[in-house]
Amino acid sequence: MSSPWERLKKRWRKISETGTLRILWITPLSLAGFLFVWWIFSIIINRAYLPGPYEVFRAFIDSFLTPAPSLGITMGDNIASSLQRFLLGFVLAFCVSVPLGLMMGFFRTAETVAKPVIEVFRPIPPIAWVPVFLLIFKLFWGPVMVIFIGVFFPLLSNVIFGVKSVDPTLIDAARTLGADRLRLFTKVIFPSTVPFLMTGITIGLGIGWMCIVAAEMIGAVGGGVGYYIYFMEQLGKYEYMYAGMVVIAILGILTVGISRYVEQYLSRLMGMK
Amino acid sequence: MTLTIDKLEKRFPKDDEELVAITDFTLEVRDHEFVCVLGPSGCGKTTLLRIVAGLETKTSGSVKIDGVEISGPGSDRGMVFQEFALFPWRTVRKNIEFGLEIKKVPKEKRKAISDKYIELVGLKGFEDSHPYELSGGMKQRVGIARALANDPKILLMDEPFGALDAQTRNMMQKELLRIWAETKKTVLFVTHSVDEAVYLADRIVVMTARPGTIKEIFDITMPRPRDRASVEFASLRKHILAELEREVVRPTPST
Ligand SMILES: Nc1ncnc2c1ncn2[C@@H]1O[C@H](COP(=O)(O)OP(=O)(O)O)[C@@H](O)[C@H]1O
Ligand SMILES: [Mg+2]
Repeated sequence: MSSPWERLKKRWRKISETGTLRILWITPLSLAGFLFVWWIFSIIINRAYLPGPYEVFRAFIDSFLTPAPSLGITMGDNIASSLQRFLLGFVLAFCVSVPLGLMMGFFRTAETVAKPVIEVFRPIPPIAWVPVFLLIFKLFWGPVMVIFIGVFFPLLSNVIFGVKSVDPTLIDAARTLGADRLRLFTKVIFPSTVPFLMTGITIGLGIGWMCIVAAEMIGAVGGGVGYYIYFMEQLGKYEYMYAGMVVIAILGILTVGISRYVEQYLSRLMGMK
Repeated sequence: MTLTIDKLEKRFPKDDEELVAITDFTLEVRDHEFVCVLGPSGCGKTTLLRIVAGLETKTSGSVKIDGVEISGPGSDRGMVFQEFALFPWRTVRKNIEFGLEIKKVPKEKRKAISDKYIELVGLKGFEDSHPYELSGGMKQRVGIARALANDPKILLMDEPFGALDAQTRNMMQKELLRIWAETKKTVLFVTHSVDEAVYLADRIVVMTARPGTIKEIFDITMPRPRDRASVEFASLRKHILAELEREVVRPTPST
């Protein structure tokens, strides 16, 4: 009965209702709008301090092709250094906060003992640790530790929250099936916290990238994107500084995006959506 | 298998005083018997079942399986929950194999056992589905299979069909009777539905409102499958309902 035109219209409506269309249209539009506003501002404000999108794009491409003056390394090298540092800090934070969070969520005494100490350190912004860590841990481990601090707290809170959110009827069910305390932990509590852990990872990744400039600012072994940004500012090569910022944005979007995807997949699997 | 509950009492601390949930509860459940515990909401049915399961401690009295006092949960008692309580990250098969994993049953043997119970509860073809993909009725089939896979002596069921719609509930009741007949398990089944109890039970234990104790026990001798439309079914239901309604309206001393 329905003509091809009708069917096409129906299909169209379905696509626009699901929001896919909105994302497909509006995302490029909003990005284009942002670039336009940027361009206008770059004309109004001194172009040396705020280069336009085109200049930054050119610097972005160039930064990958030619080694930066006085640094002698390309953006690719900087990214590799930052990624290595980031990964180390992240893995370290993961290895400490996950067991600690599980313990603090599970054993009341562990929480009572650790909580006051943690609450003292939590409000200190990661950037405040930079001088201390550089002095104590030097140029390689110092920046790593700054990232560690940034990732540690959101991960820890989410793991603790995850343990406390375990459905008590699942514990009952496991107990009637013969699970002892250890098996309750490994077979019920830990799997239950995985989606919360993923939320913590997503938040931790975001904060970790926010910390990278601070972490690498004063100095870092083998460069780094944060170090690059700081260095280009010192040299007055602002278009390259902005290019470095774009690189961090891209790295952040990619890692957080992947993490959020995994998180949503797991939440769906666990019947939380 | 015999479950012997003798002068069971359970009090919960509540503010300054105590809340008496169950008092002077004495009951013997015999081998292969299907016993329904029927009572108004809040009369202590869940508490009773949790004590038998070993999930809750008793205040006084005794609860014995084959003459042995229970202390904590054990695989000789399987429990089926109203909220299904399936592990959401495990597939149907892995849910059913949970107790076997705990017992360290080797993998091939586990699979053979889970296959048997998947078949028994009619979940063939859904072995690899996750709970979120299943309807309520199917979820409870998994719950029943999971409890049975541990080969318990007695199945404890706490309003297992309470979360299902009427049609699914009736079908599951029929299924449960079939499974019960095939496995020859003893069942202690808690419900607040008179209709459900009359349809399922060999014996119905009617409880009083809180503090919960036994008000009356009915032997249901009607042959199965029972016809809900029959005169006998209707008159029995009416009689028990009248008993129960007196409990619901009965003024309870200090809540
Ligand atoms: N863990 C508990 N702590 C305190 N009171 C409880 C607890 N569990 C149950 N109760 C109380 O005991 C009474 C019986 O509860 P329950 O066994 O769940 O009743 P039913 O399953 O028959 O509806 C209720 O008044 C309830 O509030
Ligand atoms: Mg109940």
